[in-house]
Amino acid sequence: METTEIIDGKNITLERAGEEDRTLIFKNDMCAVCGLCETICPVSAIEANPTGAMIRTEQDMSKIDIDVNKCVLCGMCSSICPFQALDLQINGDSIRELQYPQLIKSAEIDNEECIHCKACETACPQDAIIITRELPSRAELITGEIDIDKDTCIYCGMCEEMCPVDAIDIEHQNPTSDNPVVATDINVSEDICVHCGICKRICPVDAIKQVCRICPYGEYEISVPEINGNSYIDPELCVNCTWCQEICPVDAAKVTKPFEGELTIEQDTCQGCETCVMVCPCNVLSFPKSAKSGLKAEKLHKDERFCIYCGACQKSCPVDAINVKRTQINYTPTKSKAWKKAFESLKQ
Amino acid sequence: MTIGLKTYRELCHGCGNCVVSCPVNALRSEEVAGGKGPSDDVDIIMIVEDGAIQIKNADLCGKCGTCVQSCPVDAITLEEL
Repeated sequence: METTEIIDGKNITLERAGEEDRTLIFKNDMCAVCGLCETICPVSAIEANPTGAMIRTEQDMSKIDIDVNKCVLCGMCSSICPFQALDLQINGDSIRELQYPQLIKSAEIDNEECIHCKACETACPQDAIIITRELPSRAELITGEIDIDKDTCIYCGMCEEMCPVDAIDIEHQNPTSDNPVVATDINVSEDICVHCGICKRICPVDAIKQVCRICPYGEYEISVPEINGNSYIDPELCVNCTWCQEICPVDAAKVTKPFEGELTIEQDTCQGCETCVMVCPCNVLSFPKSAKSGLKAEKLHKDERFCIYCGACQKSCPVDAINVKRTQINYTPTKSKAWKKAFESLKQ
Repeated sequence: MTIGLKTYRELCHGCGNCVVSCPVNALRSEEVAGGKGPSDDVDIIMIVEDGAIQIKNADLCGKCGTCVQSCPVDAITLEEL
């Protein structure tokens, strides 16, 4: 049985027909070049290219190389990849859907709890979250009356210029001898008006009558309509970094990380080249700004709450200033000793 | 595939950005860390020699891409050797 390789741009597909049709698909865009696939491959068929070079500089080649003559399509690389960049399919089904050993990781947002504030959507380092929401119209939150006396109005346009929501519209015109007026009409859109009263106060001839009903009757008159919305995490893009869980103001997001461990930075060795900051798929690392002039800030800052211990930063650091130690691999129970050994080998 | 440093001396203006931005150079030489070329014979990856970039110790390179990003004229690259 021969394995064939199909290169599509920087994506790689390996196929082997037989009793089971096996296909290994590598999606270059998804890869963070952490090197876990290279480490776990039992036949040394995978070589991960230099992480910094692949992320920081333009390259024509794929982020990893797979040796078609060595690969046995076992799927270990696919099971370990935290970024869904590798996928082994058996007879067309992804092993993520089959009873195959794999990482235990998840991320979900409880739509009942979610208040659709979009903090997670903004914070997600992989743009994996989409929050949709339907906000009420302004008219539903404010009530009042506005009326312009067109006979008194001199069409000076001050109200139109000052209206903060562009609710006033004047039909301006250049006066002609047969129609010697500067404007023909003035109208206010009650759907747009927020009854702020600026037009009434600026009007030089008191042509505008405006009353906001909230002020005399208080807050109780108007009930705020329910804000409907939806939350969605794209399972292909999600890297289980917990940014959504940590930033959510109402604890609606729940994330399980695939690995546990420890991230150590040698501040004295670090030369601040920023490679790790750019490489990290979870936005764990940053360069803090100095609090005030003359005060030296921490060289490289980490927040391990967001770290999934993939090791991309360690692999990318040119001066070995970063150490990623994995202490636990969360994987589904398996009887296979080979798979257990493979998962456990990623602990340091 | 082996990726490594490649230089194009004919493009180089000799600005030295790569020399001082390189984190490996900076770690190995206090003078480079301070923003200038080394005056002693410390082993660093690259120096400016006769007005253009010269690789001295390619094996020290961690292939992080910092020098590539700092070069204003694409005279240093990381590419397949």
